[in-house]
Amino acid sequence: MSGLIPIVLLGTLILIFSGRLLVQWSRRSHAQVVTIEDYSQARAALDSVFAETAAIKRIFASEDMEFISQAGTGDVQRFFLKERKRLAMQWVRMTQKQVAHLMDLHLRLASYTYEPSPRSEVKLTVNYLCFVLASNGLMILLWLFGPFEAVRIVAYTVRVAEYFCSVFSLRLEKIDPVKLS
Amino acid sequence: MGTNLIWWSAIALETVVLCRGVKAALLRKYPLFYAYVASVLLIELLRFSSYEFASDFYQAFYWHTELVTIVTSYAIVFEIFRGSLRHNPAVARLAQTLLLVVFVLTGTYVASDLLHGGFVSLPRVTAELGRDLRYVEGALLLVMLWLFGRYRISFGRNLLGLAIGYSLLVGLDVINLAFLFLPGNEFSIGLRKSLPITYLITLIIWCASLWSSQPEPLPPAESTIDRDYAFLAAKTRAALAHLSTRVERTLRP
Repeated sequence: MSGLIPIVLLGTLILIFSGRLLVQWSRRSHAQVVTIEDYSQARAALDSVFAETAAIKRIFASEDMEFISQAGTGDVQRFFLKERKRLAMQWVRMTQKQVAHLMDLHLRLASYTYEPSPRSEVKLTVNYLCFVLASNGLMILLWLFGPFEAVRIVAYTVRVAEYFCSVFSLRLEKIDPVKLS
Repeated sequence: MGTNLIWWSAIALETVVLCRGVKAALLRKYPLFYAYVASVLLIELLRFSSYEFASDFYQAFYWHTELVTIVTSYAIVFEIFRGSLRHNPAVARLAQTLLLVVFVLTGTYVASDLLHGGFVSLPRVTAELGRDLRYVEGALLLVMLWLFGRYRISFGRNLLGLAIGYSLLVGLDVINLAFLFLPGNEFSIGLRKSLPITYLITLIIWCASLWSSQPEPLPPAESTIDRDYAFLAAKTRAALAHLSTRVERTLRP
C-alpha cells in the first residue's frame, strides 16, 4: 500500500502539469517572444516601485500614528490605520508582482542561452523562494497587526538575527582549531 | 457489444489520425509519433483477430503486445522532447541531464522490484515489466512537463495536442496500473473499464489537434536575446540583491 502513494502521486502530477501546459498555451497571446528589451523594462519597473522612497517610508512612519493617536478621535484612528494598512499591502503586492514578472522573463530568456548553469539556477530559485516566503510573511504581519506594528516586529527580528550572526561569527573566530583536532 | 464498439472506434480513430497525417504532411514532421500510431493500429487488429478466433490465447497475447505498445510509446516522449526544445538549447541540455538521472533512478528501482518479485509465470512477468516501464515513462514525462511549465516553453497546436493527449493517457494508465497490481482492490476494476474510454478521448484530442498542419512558434531574433547565461543570471541576482537592500531600508524605522 505504501508503494501506491508515490505512483498515484506521479499520475496525478502528470495530469496537473498537462493542465498547466494547456492554460499556458491558452494565454500565449499575452506571452509573445520575449526579448532582452522586455527584461530591461521589467528591471526598470521594479526600480520604479521604490522611486518614491520618501513616500513609501511615510506609509510605515510611526510618527504619523503617534500624531493621530494624540489629535484624532477613535474613528479617525481606525480610518487612518485601515488606509495605511491598505497602502502597505498594496505596495508589497506590487513589489511581489514585479519580481515575479522579472523572474518569469529571466527563465524565458535563460531557456535561449547556450551554457546554462544548474547551480546558478538553483541559487536564484532559492533566492526567489526566500523573497516569496519573506514577502508573504510580511503580508500576514501587515494584515494581522497593521503597518506600524509589523515594521516593529520585522525590525526586531532583523536585529535579533544580526545579533546572533555576529555572536556566532565571534565564537567561530575564538575557536582554537588545534583543540578541535 | 460495448467492448466491440470501443474497439472499432479506436481502430477507426487511429486510421483517421494516420490518414490525416499523410494528407496534412505531418508524417514527416512527427515520424516517430505516426510510427507509434501505426504499430498500435496493427496490434489492435491482431488483438481483435485473436479475441474473435483464438480467445484462449488472447490473455497472454494481450500482455505481450501491451509490453510492445509501452516500449514503442517511448517514441512519443522523444518526439515531444525533440519538437518542443528545438529553440531552447539551455532547457534541452538541462532536460537531457535530468531525464538521464530520472531514467537511471527509476530503472534501477524497477529492476530491483522485478528481481525481488520472482518468476511466477510468463504473462505475469510480462505484465509487471510493462507496468514498470510505464512508471519510468511517467517519471520522464513528468520531468519534461515540469520543465515546459517552468521555462514557459511555447508550443504549436499540433505538438500541444500530441503532448496533452499523451499525458492524459500515461497519467491515467499509471494510476490504473498502480491499483491493478494491488491485491484485492475493487477500485481498479472500475478504473480499468474507464481506460479504453480515456484512450478514445486521447485519440479524439490527437485527431483534432493533428487534423491540419499548424504553424510552430517562431524562435526569437538573435539580436533581441542574450545567449550568455552567466551575464543574464548575474543581472537577475543583482536585481534581487538590490531589491532586498531597498526593502530593508524602507522597513527600518
